[in-house]
Amino acid sequence: MEQILLDFDLRVMAPELVIVSAAALLSIIDLLLKESRSRKVIGWFGLAAVVLAGVFVAMAFGHEPYQILADTYRIDSFSLMFKAILLAGTAGVFLFSLASGKEEWKSREGEYYYLLLTALLGAMVMVSSADLITLFVGLELLSLSSYILVGIRKERGEANEAAWKYVVLGGVSSAFILYGMSFAYGLAGSTNLFEISRRFAEGMGGSGHLFIYLSLFLMMVGFGFKVAFVPFHMWAPDVYQGASTPIAAFLAIVSKTAAFAFIIRVLLVAYSPLMSDASWMEVVSWMLMIVAALSMILGNTIALRQTNAKRLMAYSSIAQAGYLVVPFATIGLVPFDLFPSMLFYLVAYLFMTFGAFVVIEFVTKDRGHGGISAFAGLSRRSPWLAAAMTLFLISLAGLPLTAGFFGKFYLITSTLFNNQEWLAAVMILTTIVSYYYYFGIVRQMYFLPPYSDQKVPVPWLATIAILLGVGGTIGLGLFPEPLLTFIGELDWTSVLSIASSGAPQ
Amino acid sequence: MSFQFSGEFIAFFILSVMAICGAVFMINATRVIHMALSLAFTFFSIAGIYLLLEAEFLAVIQILIYTGAVSILMLFGIMLTKHKEEEQPSISSWHSIISFCATGALFGLLIWVIYRSPLVSQAPQKAAATVGQLGGSVFKQYVIPFELTSVLLLVALVGAVILAKREGKK
Repeated sequence: MEQILLDFDLRVMAPELVIVSAAALLSIIDLLLKESRSRKVIGWFGLAAVVLAGVFVAMAFGHEPYQILADTYRIDSFSLMFKAILLAGTAGVFLFSLASGKEEWKSREGEYYYLLLTALLGAMVMVSSADLITLFVGLELLSLSSYILVGIRKERGEANEAAWKYVVLGGVSSAFILYGMSFAYGLAGSTNLFEISRRFAEGMGGSGHLFIYLSLFLMMVGFGFKVAFVPFHMWAPDVYQGASTPIAAFLAIVSKTAAFAFIIRVLLVAYSPLMSDASWMEVVSWMLMIVAALSMILGNTIALRQTNAKRLMAYSSIAQAGYLVVPFATIGLVPFDLFPSMLFYLVAYLFMTFGAFVVIEFVTKDRGHGGISAFAGLSRRSPWLAAAMTLFLISLAGLPLTAGFFGKFYLITSTLFNNQEWLAAVMILTTIVSYYYYFGIVRQMYFLPPYSDQKVPVPWLATIAILLGVGGTIGLGLFPEPLLTFIGELDWTSVLSIASSGAPQ
Repeated sequence: MSFQFSGEFIAFFILSVMAICGAVFMINATRVIHMALSLAFTFFSIAGIYLLLEAEFLAVIQILIYTGAVSILMLFGIMLTKHKEEEQPSISSWHSIISFCATGALFGLLIWVIYRSPLVSQAPQKAAATVGQLGGSVFKQYVIPFELTSVLLLVALVGAVILAKREGKK
């Protein structure tokens, strides 16, 4: 019997419904508020909606995998875990935006907040669907909202340039993804990932074999742009520099996480028949490993020459994307080993990147330019701020007692476990290279004379945001066990299984 | 591989040449209005190809939406805004050589794959997709992405307004 939307239990969609209704409501509130009124209330309301959605996601853990309308929407451990990361990241970005004041967006503050919500909605849909159409619509919703958020400070030339580059390259990458998807659909005759996987399994070894690889290749090129792997990373530094810092943090954390979830889902579900094939190891795995190695090498070496703090963070995030690709490249051997190491790294990355961006925002704003020299003598002006920044940088560099250390440690051990010694060697060497530029900032803070004696003004909201970042970075660094056991206990095989669609319990 | 010179083949040949020419003109034209017209031309030819593939509904939609609405909107946009005729700085020859090589490699790869593995196609089931069925699947199976598309359109609208709005009073 054909099913319609109302046959399903819509309570599982609660997080998305909260976000979409908050976005709709906020756009109306924005309209009704007097023009002179501050739009901060909209930001607070948006933050509340994100937190509420987070509560719903937390309550849904342990739920049976469930799907609506032929997997156009599904929840399983995979989507819940990623959704939790996305929501945490967006909540942080909201806090950050509320702290950094309204002069950034002038009269467009209301729009700024609800576009953040729609971007989040797109990201959440991307992680909780197993249908190409929904995945693509979610991706476009996220991308389109991000283009606008990057260009929203339209008075500034650099923001316009960044938005332009982002729109053009984002459009190209979407075209590549769509082209790849069209080959997958043409071969399988369905947009459902499980159905595609079934048809691919039948088609392997036949004449369609090359087409399967072609579709995968095209999709990976598109994703490469979205995640900013190395051959397709050129946009990232310009966009991070031109966008306001909260948005740069949003792109580095939320967009990247959603794009990763998208690739994993498509690879693991639709292209799983390829993994049993010898050519997976020979072609795809190698391709990914080379991309990962290139991202780590180029990201870290180009970062050495950067003098702008946000550009430096952009190159550092390209390198981090390289580290994150590693578990995927070695996926064919031990599939479910992938999740714990990768998700731990993502969570650690969230805290440390977020914290670093918040500190950068207030220090560079105080100095009036975005150069690294803005950090000169910070330890004498605001010792606590300097200490927090040092912690984030140490964590990004991957030294012990921080979240970043365990993140890298698990990635490297899982790579060694998969017998890819050369890749582990690249990871370790590039990490050592990265010490140079991370400690360049530390050197500025502790060993150079300050340009003024005044404290760097940090609003209380930003203090909370920094404390959250510090808490997460140290907490995961000292006690990684709870999160690891939690991730380890989740039922990752549910990603691959057909979910029930019957009546809820 | 042998070609049969049927009417269908000739029509396909003419339409695809038109579509490609339109696209090439669009890239090479110096005036925006010429670009918009060549793009409309390409859209129109693609509608013809849809018709050849017996996707009549798609062909009509293509003409209505792309050739009609999108092109007209673009023309309006061009006419209602000011344009300075600017000499574009010529792109360095290195740059164009590299991009030519990259696109050439991609094209070669695609063609290689397509010719290496000829797909055995079954006879397509004709008249399988009526407008009614299309509507049914959009509003039944694909209702979630459909609703999301409306959010997407809203976002695009809001974005267009805030980016294009002139802020007078300060």
